[in-house]
Amino acid sequence: MSIASPFSASIVAITALAFLGLPIGHAMIAGSILYLLLAGLDMGTAAEQLLNGMYANYIILAVPLFILAAELMNIGSMTDRLMAFCNAVVGRFRGGLAYVNIVQSIIFAGMSGSAIADAAGTGKMMQQMMTRDGKYPASYAAALTAVTAVIGPVIPPSIPMVIYALVSDASIGYLFLGGVVPGLLMALSQMGIVAFQARRLNFPVEPPTPLRKLPRIAWKALPSLMMPVVLLGGIYTGATTPTEAAAVAAAYALAISVLLYRSVSFGDFYRSILASARTSASIGMLIAGALVFNYVVTVENIPQSLSLLLAGWQLSPTVFLVLVNVLLLLLGCVLEGTTILLVIVPVLIPTARALGIDMVHFGVVVVVNIMIGLVTPPYGLLLFIMTRIAEVPLMDIVRDVLPFLWAMIGSLVLITYFPELVLWLPRLLGYQG
Amino acid sequence: MLVKLRSLARSLYRVSEAILAAMLGLMFLAFLLQIAFRYLFNLPIGWTNELSAILWIWLVLWGAAFVVREEEEIRFDLVYASARPGARRVMFLISAVSLIVLYAISFPAVFDYVAFMRVESTAYLKIRFDWLFSIYLVFVVSVIVRYLWLAWQAAFGRAPQEFDPTKMGSGV
Repeated sequence: MSIASPFSASIVAITALAFLGLPIGHAMIAGSILYLLLAGLDMGTAAEQLLNGMYANYIILAVPLFILAAELMNIGSMTDRLMAFCNAVVGRFRGGLAYVNIVQSIIFAGMSGSAIADAAGTGKMMQQMMTRDGKYPASYAAALTAVTAVIGPVIPPSIPMVIYALVSDASIGYLFLGGVVPGLLMALSQMGIVAFQARRLNFPVEPPTPLRKLPRIAWKALPSLMMPVVLLGGIYTGATTPTEAAAVAAAYALAISVLLYRSVSFGDFYRSILASARTSASIGMLIAGALVFNYVVTVENIPQSLSLLLAGWQLSPTVFLVLVNVLLLLLGCVLEGTTILLVIVPVLIPTARALGIDMVHFGVVVVVNIMIGLVTPPYGLLLFIMTRIAEVPLMDIVRDVLPFLWAMIGSLVLITYFPELVLWLPRLLGYQG
Repeated sequence: MLVKLRSLARSLYRVSEAILAAMLGLMFLAFLLQIAFRYLFNLPIGWTNELSAILWIWLVLWGAAFVVREEEEIRFDLVYASARPGARRVMFLISAVSLIVLYAISFPAVFDYVAFMRVESTAYLKIRFDWLFSIYLVFVVSVIVRYLWLAWQAAFGRAPQEFDPTKMGSGV
């Protein structure tokens, strides 16, 4: 590959256009057109790759459907009931609301596949609860909501895992299973930090809910609590494909909001379907751009060249994974997560395969990295959302995020070194890898 | 006159939004039908798969062409956001002109590809691929027109604003 090749020109063009602020999907399509032009190839290939790629990759349809499911959950009163349930269970401990925040995130993680949707859906209510009567500093409440939302797409379902499955051909079902233990591990590490802070900073205790009221509160939250069972049960019994399961999740959320809680008007429904369609179109453009650009990358044999180059360095799988972690964490500070998944990760996959790294393990490690990237400054979408909701300066939230960030990086190190933490559950349920 | 045009544009926008929402709604319905047919009537059907895939292409390209706003698109905006308004004007012009030129240059070849696809039809619904793929042509033309307008504004109107990252349509 010479310096002045069509490929390097196209990379320079894409990077430059992205830096100038052009939407990344457009930048990738435009840069790929430039490549085809300079290489003397048919520029119709841009359309061919985009259209056929979109048409043939059936699993990607899970993305709009999971987005819809998350939107539908957020309009019903599911959230209130879950909150009441969490409060009844863990509110009685020192730092009760902080635990409520973590536990409700775990439950939400089992229903929704998007961290952004989790924070946008429950963030406001959580923030109000935690800061009422000055119980917790606003920046602390915001930081906690941001870091607990990180768990969302690690515990299944998960939109980033669907996108990873698209670029790696790994099984969505096993990826989902692989995320369960790492997600719970991250939640546990967050609880550890809260326990430590609660004693040192003397966090308040919530008035305990009498135990005899617990069954009633649990009963009211039950339809929402059953959501992960419906969703994951469908996938693992083979009753539905993961893509269909996303549609079932959306239908289930709609059904309990309309039938049981009677809290949805047609206007609400229209607004959430439109909002989901808009988000889907914007991610879809990024996927479309990546399909065209990945064609160029494949024609140029880049992933294989990188794989050969790295083979020359005689890396061990562990060293490679550590390098990937460092690279992705750094990129996560400045880039949006889907972009990393669609552009950077496909280049790394052949090397990971050549080193014998399990694709499900690799996928979960990658997704955890990208999720942590949502709370690392300067560019962290969850930080931005919580800055907006809590109306506190970004830097204050970042300060309070830091202890949790170290805890999550600790969990990341564990799942990187011990693939069993990821692969134990999938193997238990039949994964052959 | 101008007021009338504005309200016309607004209603057109509402209509294109409704079409976008209808496409996702239809896709959702197609999936439910597919599951229902398999279990309730023990009758696996294939056309729902096909319909969903078609709707997905149309949803993304229709949405990108007519509905999704600038601030919702996924971009790298650390540099753009920290630039001064004057610099931002120049940055926007360079990227817009590059995009317009490259999309325009590729248009004839892209048109030929889509036209060529008339020889094939989809498996179940027998929709000719040139019809199915024609949304890409609509998308390219709409993006060119839109960026011409935005570039004109950036050059002679108000300097482009920075984007609010919390509005970005990211699904992670």
